[in-house]
Amino acid sequence: MAAIAGRPAGKASWQRGLRDARLWLLLITAVLMLVDGYLIFMVAPTDAVLGHVQRIFYVHVPISILSFLGFLICAVAGIGYLIRRTERWDRVAHASAEVGVVFVTLALVTGIIWARPVWNAWWQWEPRLTTTLILWFIYVAYLMIRQYAPTPQQGRTWSAVVGIIGFVDVPIVYYSVQWWQSIHPKQVIGPEAAEGALEPIMAQILVFSLVATLALFTYLLLERVALRGIEDRLSQLRREGNTD
Amino acid sequence: MTELPPTNLPYLFAAFAVVWVVFFIYAAYMSWRRQSAQRELDEMRESNGQESGSGGNDGGG
Repeated sequence: MAAIAGRPAGKASWQRGLRDARLWLLLITAVLMLVDGYLIFMVAPTDAVLGHVQRIFYVHVPISILSFLGFLICAVAGIGYLIRRTERWDRVAHASAEVGVVFVTLALVTGIIWARPVWNAWWQWEPRLTTTLILWFIYVAYLMIRQYAPTPQQGRTWSAVVGIIGFVDVPIVYYSVQWWQSIHPKQVIGPEAAEGALEPIMAQILVFSLVATLALFTYLLLERVALRGIEDRLSQLRREGNTD
Repeated sequence: MTELPPTNLPYLFAAFAVVWVVFFIYAAYMSWRRQSAQRELDEMRESNGQESGSGGNDGGG
């Protein structure tokens, strides 16, 4: 209690600075997203085979990549938590897993919407979709473990382990289109992307979309970490209130 | 460039709409939860007779 009441002014001003930074990031994200929308709908060429529906790719690919980033941060922060056992690592792990689940859910949904006109089916049990669905289940399980573990301490430890082991599925998702017979399009970005897989203008717009979505991802992650910080302090005050 | 199949447009609209609605709801929900938790935290501190010393905001994580 005394630690909270007697917080140094420097920490308070740092927190205010972080809050202002989040507001600026939100503003920058909004501008980037507007420009991105213009590029996707007004500048990007229409695909000769797939038509307008191919434009889904400009949101689907960045969202998928950033879900991987979310789970990478979760795994790294989980390792940090298991070594250090500090709340800070757990907050980052929890926030990145939750934001990652939102992103991978949207990756699945946009993929399903794209698949209907292109494959004439909403869903195919093919390697990329199936491994992505497994990834979704793993990190939903991560969030459920936190919620339903017998004690918060156990929830943190068990979920950290799940977050670390679950990350093994991320490279499997990425390489699934090469390792197995898959009807999913091959990689257009990353180490296994073919040379000239995209027209230069499409590649440039995809990179811009990735930057804009990264700004949104960062904003959501910082906001979630901040929320967890307040929730932790509330829980601490409640516990202390109960023991007084 | 080919003539576009008209049936594709609803799918394009649906995909972007879902993405934006979900992001907006998630961001708004977090913001609402943060403000509500912050209010509760400030009230608890006041009722405990403690001065937060930070202008009342703990949004730093």
